[in-house]
Amino acid sequence: MRLTVNGRDHEIAPAPGERLLTLLNDRLHLPGTKFGCGHGECGACTVLLNNRLAYSCIVLAEACDSATVTTIEGLASAGKLAPLQRAFIAHDAAQCGYCTPGQLVAATHLLARNAAPDEAEIREAMSGNLCRCGTYPKIVTAIAAASRGDFKNMSSETDE
Amino acid sequence: MARQSKRSTARRGRTFVETVVEVEGRTEKRVVELPAFEPAAWKADTALEIVGARVPRMDAHEKVTGRARYTADIALPGMLHALILRSPVAKGNVRSFDATAARAVPGVLDVLATGDAPPDTRLFTGKISYAGQPVGVICAETFEAAAAGARAMAMTFDAAPFAATFEAAVAPDAPLVRSQGNLMADSPMIEGRGDIEAGLRAADVTITREYRTPVQLHSAIEPHGAVAEWNADRVTIWESTQGIFRVREQVAAALGISQSNVRVIKHYMGGGFGAKNGAGAHTYIAALFARRTGRPVRCVLSRRAEQSDSGNRPATIQRVTLGAKKNGTLTAIVLSADIPLGVSGWEGGPAQIYHELYACPNVRTEETFAWVNSSGMQAFRAPGYAEGAFGLESAMNALARELGMDPLALRRRNFTRIDLRRSQKYSGNALRECYDEGARKFGWASREERRQASANPAAPASVVPSSSVASVRRGFGMAAQLWPTGGGPPSYAQVRINNDASIDVLAGTQDLGTGARTVLAQIAAEALGAKLSDVRSIIGDTETLPYAGNSWGSMTTPSVGPAARMAAEDARRLLLEAAAPMFDVQPGDLETKDSRIVVRDTDRSMTFAEVTKSLGDVMIVGRGSRGPNPDDVTIATFGAQFAEVEVDVETGIVRVLRIVAAHDAGRIINPTLAESQLEGGIIQGLGYALFEERILDRATGVQLNADLHDYRIPTMADIPAIDAFFVGTADTVANHTGARGLAEPPIIPTAPAIAAAVADAIGAEMTQIPLTPWRVLGALENQRG
Ligand code: FES
Ligand code: FES
Repeated sequence: MRLTVNGRDHEIAPAPGERLLTLLNDRLHLPGTKFGCGHGECGACTVLLNNRLAYSCIVLAEACDSATVTTIEGLASAGKLAPLQRAFIAHDAAQCGYCTPGQLVAATHLLARNAAPDEAEIREAMSGNLCRCGTYPKIVTAIAAASRGDFKNMSSETDE
Repeated sequence: MARQSKRSTARRGRTFVETVVEVEGRTEKRVVELPAFEPAAWKADTALEIVGARVPRMDAHEKVTGRARYTADIALPGMLHALILRSPVAKGNVRSFDATAARAVPGVLDVLATGDAPPDTRLFTGKISYAGQPVGVICAETFEAAAAGARAMAMTFDAAPFAATFEAAVAPDAPLVRSQGNLMADSPMIEGRGDIEAGLRAADVTITREYRTPVQLHSAIEPHGAVAEWNADRVTIWESTQGIFRVREQVAAALGISQSNVRVIKHYMGGGFGAKNGAGAHTYIAALFARRTGRPVRCVLSRRAEQSDSGNRPATIQRVTLGAKKNGTLTAIVLSADIPLGVSGWEGGPAQIYHELYACPNVRTEETFAWVNSSGMQAFRAPGYAEGAFGLESAMNALARELGMDPLALRRRNFTRIDLRRSQKYSGNALRECYDEGARKFGWASREERRQASANPAAPASVVPSSSVASVRRGFGMAAQLWPTGGGPPSYAQVRINNDASIDVLAGTQDLGTGARTVLAQIAAEALGAKLSDVRSIIGDTETLPYAGNSWGSMTTPSVGPAARMAAEDARRLLLEAAAPMFDVQPGDLETKDSRIVVRDTDRSMTFAEVTKSLGDVMIVGRGSRGPNPDDVTIATFGAQFAEVEVDVETGIVRVLRIVAAHDAGRIINPTLAESQLEGGIIQGLGYALFEERILDRATGVQLNADLHDYRIPTMADIPAIDAFFVGTADTVANHTGARGLAEPPIIPTAPAIAAAVADAIGAEMTQIPLTPWRVLGALENQRG
C-alpha cells in the first residue's frame, strides 16, 4: 500500500494486525509518536490522519492505504520549528515530554480548525491527551500564546 | 556554617564520616567521604545570575520535536519483543503451562516459565500471590507475534483462598499471604511523645474521626520498560528508571555478574513518580532473553500491566483523635492506622506527618501494616505523607469547625518552629510565610464575600467562571504540608572544560521530567562563571558517569546540585591557575563571568576559549562530591494550599475552581521549572482527591480498572486555575546551594484542602477520598439523617 508520512511517500506492506503506531515507530523509524496505552485512552500516539486527529495505536495499518499522515516529526518545516513548538519551549509545556508529541499534534489540529480558541475551547479540544506530569496549565498557556501569534516571526537560527 | 568549622580538621585528610539522610520520609545513616573542600554557601543575598533565572528547559527542543529518545524508542538490529504472561488468580499455583502451540506461532522464539529465572529475580516461582503476577514470558520477532503466542498459551491454575483487603488479611483464619504471616514484622509500629492521657484530659474539645484513602496508581504515561543487549559477558540495559545505579546493582546481583559488566542507560523517561526506582520483571526478562537468544530484547509493559503491577500508593484507614484547648492549642494527637501494603512494600505509612507538622506535646501513632494478595506498593510522590495529610489535615479542619475557629488561625496557633519529633531545629521553616502569602493571594479573609457573590448571578464576574445552576454550592478549604527533603551524599559530579571551552557537567543522575539536566547546568555555569549556553549536562549512564543515587525523595537537586557546584568551582580553580601566568598575575586576581576571565579592576581579559586553546590538549576536569548533612538539624519543605470548589448537591459532582499554593523549598534554582513541578503535584493531588481509586474484584482479587479509562486521572478539562509559587529564601544550613527538594511536597496538602472546601460547600464532612459523586451524595444523605 501507499502511504504519505510527513510529505514523504512510502510503499509498504502492512503486517496482519499491525497498528499504524507500530508501523510509524518500527518500520518508518519515526519514534516520536508514543505508545502510552494501545487502547485509545491516553493520546500519546496522536497523529493527523488525512488531516483528522487519530489515535495511531488503534488504527490498523492496512486501513491507511493512500492516507496522508502527519506526526510530531512533521511539524517543523525545513528545520524551522512551528510556532506551537516554540511556544511549548518558551512556556515550559513539556515536563517529561512523553505526552508532548501527542499534545502538539492535537494542538496543531485545534489551531488549524480554530485560529483563536478561548481557554475553554482549548481545554475541551485537548482533553483527549493525558499528561501525568500535570503540565496542563503550561500547555494551555502555550497554545493560547501561539494562537495570538507570539511565536510567528521568530528567527529560525537556533532551531536545529 | 557550623558544620564547616566543626569538621575542618577531618577535612585535611580523606576521612569517612557518618551522616543522616532522609529518604522518602525514612531516616538513614550513611557513611560519606568528606569532600576535599566545600564552597561557601550561596547566601540569600549572594548575587547570582544564572541560578534563580527562568531559563527554558535545556532538553525542551528534543521534546517538542519528537527527538527525545525514551526506552521504548530504542530499536536495535535484530531486536526481539517480550510479552509477560500473568496470573488470572490472586493466590495459588500454576497447575499446567503448555507452550507447545505458542511456540508454533510464526515469529515466536522462546518461552520462559517456572524455574527459568534465577532466584534473585523472584520471577516465575510457580507460586502465585496476586492477580496479575508474572508467570511466564514469550519472546518473538515482533510484538504482534508475541501477542499471538500469548493467545495460544494453554495455562491452568489452582486457585486458593486469598486475602486482598486489610480486614481479610487480619481475620483469625485468614489465608497466609506470606509464609511468615500477614503482618509486617514490627507491626504495629508505635511512636509517641509526651503523655496522651494527660493531653486528652487537658483538652476542652476532642474529636475522633475515621478517614480512608484509596490505592492510587502512578499511571506514568510511559509504561515501565527495558531493552537489553549482550556483548560477550557484558549487558547493556536501556531502562526507564529513576535510579540507573540501583538497576545496575540489582541486575548484577540477580544475574550473578559484576557491576562493571552491567551498563544501564537512561536518556529520557516518561515520568516515574516513585514507581521506577529499580529493576523490575521487565528488566530481568529483557536481560535473560537477550542472553539466551543472543539478540537484543525489548520488554515494555502493557498499559494493563502498568496499572495493575508496577507499584501503587497503598490504601489507609486512619482513626484520628485530636484534643485541643478552646483557643485551638493542640493537647493531643492520636492516630491508629491500618495499611494493606500488597504482597511487598515497606513501612511508608501515614504516621510521620502527625509527629511533625504541629506543636503538640503529646502525640501517639500506631500503624499496622498488613500483607495482602494484591500487587506490591512502591513509593509514590510523598509516600505516607500524602495519605497522612489527608487524615491529619481533615481532622484539623473538623476540629476548627468544632471549635468555631478559622482553620487557618488554628494552624497558626499550632505552628512549630522546631522539629518536636527529633527535638531539633529546622534548617529553615517559612511555613508561616506560606500561610500569609497563600491566604493573601487566595483572598482567604474575604471568602464569605466570594461565596455571596457566587450565589448572586448579578454580581460582577469573578476570576473563574461560575455555574449558574441553583443546586451549586461554593466552598473554601485549606491544608498545610511538611516533607523532609534535604538530600544527601553520596553524589559525585565532574565538570569538564573541553579545549574549545565548551563545558560538560557529568553526573550519573537522571532527569525524570523534573528538570535535573537544566538545574545542574545552571548551578555549574553559575559557579564557573560560564555562559549557560556553553554548558551541557550529561547524565543517565552508569558506564561513563560518576555515581549519583536514585532520583527519589525529592533528592536530586539538593544531592547532586552541590556536587556539581563543587566540581565547577574545582574546574574554575584549575582554569584560573592555568590562566594566571598568561596575565602575569596570581589566580586570586582573576574573576570569571560570561565565559570570560577578567583581571580584577582592570580591563584585561580573555575568553575561556582563548585560555583553553593555548593549553592545547590539556583537559580541565573539576571534581565534586556532596558533603555530609549538617548535624542536629531537620531539613524539610513546607507549604500551604487553599482550594475553592463548586459542588452540585443534586448530582454530587465536584468542580475545583481554584488552587493557590505557597511553598517553601529554600532557594529555587529555576522558578519556571519548579512551578511546573508544583502544578504537577497539585494536579496529581486533585486526581487523588476526586477520581483515582484502584478497584479490585472482591470475588477474584482481579483489578477491575487496570486502564486509563476506568482508572481516571485528571484531564485538561478538570484543571482549575492554579496559582503556585514559592516563598522563603536560600537555606544556607541545608547545603551550600541553598536548595531543598520540591517535587513531592505539592501533592501532600491538595486532597485535604479540596475535601475541606467540599465540606464547607455542603456542610457535611468528607472522610473518604476520592470524592466521587456518590460519596458526596452519601455525605449529604447521612447529614440529613
Ligand atoms: S497509545 Fe494510543 S491512545 Fe494511548
Ligand atoms: S509531560 Fe510528562 S506526561 Fe506530559
